[in-house]
Amino acid sequence: MEEAKKTPLIRLSKRDAMDPKKVWAIRIGSILVALIIGCIPILITGNNPFKAYVVIIKGSLGTSFYFKQTIKNAIPLLGCALAIAPCFKMRFWNIGGEGQITAGAIFASFFAINFASKLPHVPLLLVMCLAAAIGGAIWAAIPGFFKAKYNTNETLFTLMMNYIAIGIISWLQGGPWEGRPGTQQIPLFDKNAVLPTVFGIHIGWIIVLVLVVLMHIYMNYTKQGYEIAVIGDSYNTARYAGMNVGWVMVRTMLVSGAICGVVGFILVSGQNKTITANVANGVGFTAITVAWLGHLNAFAMIIISFILAILTVGSSYLQQVLGVPSAISEIVSGILLFCMLGCEFFINYQMTFRSKVKKEVKA
Amino acid sequence: MKKTLAIALALLMCFSLFAQGAGEATTEKKATKIGFVVIGSENDQGYTYNFMNGMNAAIDKLKADGYDVELSVKRDIGEDAGCVDANLALAAEGCEIIFNNSYGFEQYMQQAADEFPKVQFVSLTNCGSQVDGRDNTYNAFAAIYEGRYIAGVAAGMKLQQLIDEGKIKADQAVIGYVGAFSFAEVVSGMTAYYLGARSVCPSATMLVQFVGSWSDPTLEAEAAKALIDKGAVMISQHSDNTTPATTAQERGVFHTGYNNDMTGVAPKASLLSCRIDWTNYFYTFIANYINGVQNPSDYCGEMSRGEVVVTELNTAIAAPGTKEAMDKAAAAIADGSLHVFDTSKFTIKGAAPTNEAMYDSFAAVQGNATYDGYFHESSLQSAPYFVGQIDGITWLNAAF
Repeated sequence: MEEAKKTPLIRLSKRDAMDPKKVWAIRIGSILVALIIGCIPILITGNNPFKAYVVIIKGSLGTSFYFKQTIKNAIPLLGCALAIAPCFKMRFWNIGGEGQITAGAIFASFFAINFASKLPHVPLLLVMCLAAAIGGAIWAAIPGFFKAKYNTNETLFTLMMNYIAIGIISWLQGGPWEGRPGTQQIPLFDKNAVLPTVFGIHIGWIIVLVLVVLMHIYMNYTKQGYEIAVIGDSYNTARYAGMNVGWVMVRTMLVSGAICGVVGFILVSGQNKTITANVANGVGFTAITVAWLGHLNAFAMIIISFILAILTVGSSYLQQVLGVPSAISEIVSGILLFCMLGCEFFINYQMTFRSKVKKEVKA
Repeated sequence: MKKTLAIALALLMCFSLFAQGAGEATTEKKATKIGFVVIGSENDQGYTYNFMNGMNAAIDKLKADGYDVELSVKRDIGEDAGCVDANLALAAEGCEIIFNNSYGFEQYMQQAADEFPKVQFVSLTNCGSQVDGRDNTYNAFAAIYEGRYIAGVAAGMKLQQLIDEGKIKADQAVIGYVGAFSFAEVVSGMTAYYLGARSVCPSATMLVQFVGSWSDPTLEAEAAKALIDKGAVMISQHSDNTTPATTAQERGVFHTGYNNDMTGVAPKASLLSCRIDWTNYFYTFIANYINGVQNPSDYCGEMSRGEVVVTELNTAIAAPGTKEAMDKAAAAIADGSLHVFDTSKFTIKGAAPTNEAMYDSFAAVQGNATYDGYFHESSLQSAPYFVGQIDGITWLNAAF
């Protein structure tokens, strides 16, 4: 009797590896559950949820225009997710993608604004890209260094660095880089400093796809990638194996920051054609979800970033067509992400109910 | 396995509940679609609220006159690449005219204009259309300085009343002006306001405090307080919030506002506000387009056509005779006998004002606006370009 009282209603235990078919069934199931829960907020606004979902798909994939918008939206997400993946693999929580993108954007913009008429097109873009990579790398290496040297909390440190970078742009756009005084606006870049397009989309999409391949190789087939994996699994194992853990951390942050910087370059040169304080626009945070949902697998992240882009672009269309407030679309996106991330829990853990436990005990 | 199947079927059923009616999304209509990209929303009770009122009134009027139009609005858009996307999305949706309501939208709107050369793009309050080399971009503003002048007359009447009643001495008729930036739009408005006040209260002087933001309720209130501490007995503003009005009321001084009626929040302080009424512009532009009439690339609304208006005078606190003085000035402006920037009425550094000292060198269109005895504000381009620092107005700071 006492025994039964102590047993909790639900007991959790780690599962053994699941049948991959079942794993995918759970994942697809979680999306369906999310779509059903998502009906509730849409119903509250007085719209037909099924119609709303059709509108989201139509407004993100329906025409070549919307498809392009979706791709444009996915580019920075994918790029930044690739950047933070090695950090997360190492269990170094870099949530400063936002600031590193912004720092890269500032460095690239410096050359776009001051050298547009002095350098030919391709060299200018290369200089901008390189400068952005250096800018992002510096921004990331600072918290990396302090973590390695003084074991500071990288989560807070990288987060705080975001606000500094954004503050710098706010100052630039009301100060040295301001166009007409009083406008608080940096003028558009010269055409010379703007990325060319391929198939109607700026070549940022090619850059990030190349990065996908490079990152896949880096993480899986290089010594550095292996070191990252070992540190992620066990800090002490890495130390006993003679790895210089501190240096690996700084080095990984340099790589991560450099890629974020390149994303910043793509954003200012390809997407915005100028720089504003919200150039990163939350990408650094959403990319964390992308990297996590993609299990830090570079190829999986392509799909995840694409799905998130569909949601973003589709919801904007939903707001326009059905008048569903954008906040409602955000709630639906939130439910979807929550369910997708949450289902991983059921893949890794088993729930055992009390009645079952009893039976097992008797047997 | 059975369990899985059952769950799958249950999910399917849930969806089939909503499946009906999903197909009938598009019904064939030949309405002219109008797009509107706005920086805020109807709820801001200030900037965008004023634009939306004008747009909704214009759409209602168009429909009443038999035009088949349909409005699609993109709200809360930032001055960044999101603005390009909003314009592109509206154009892709089939909008034939797209209005943008913030100055900072223009450079993003132009990018969309290049991709959709058949769609008409209108940047309200900016000034690039005449010089950007595009056929499908437009600008519009209104001679708000006329409205400012009239509001200034109301303020001046009040100041003179305070002097006549012995409540203040003649040299204490100080106006405090809360400005957003030291930007032509603000300088032009505040100068017109001051000249209006001085036309009925010759001893009036003005102090200006710039806050460095178009909309920051706290800074605006602080600026108003600082001005009152320096002796201002009348507060006016070129900023988006009502905090200067409430601060004026708290401190027992008077106020005139901008963009919307502020007598509701400060009934004991606020005399009136002036604002632009966009209804006529929207109506005319859309009707012209549908009728195949070419619209002007730059349009400036006028008080005489009801495009610049002052809100109802708060007669409970206004000086006697204010309404008559305002009407007289408005009539004189309308018939051309009164010019707001009459160069015989003010000086710059003690000397007669020159075009160079008054014309904004950053304006898109450059030229001579000083002839026939007055400065022709909003004639070369609709967006204001008067930046002269006239005697009688003291800048406490500058914020570019």
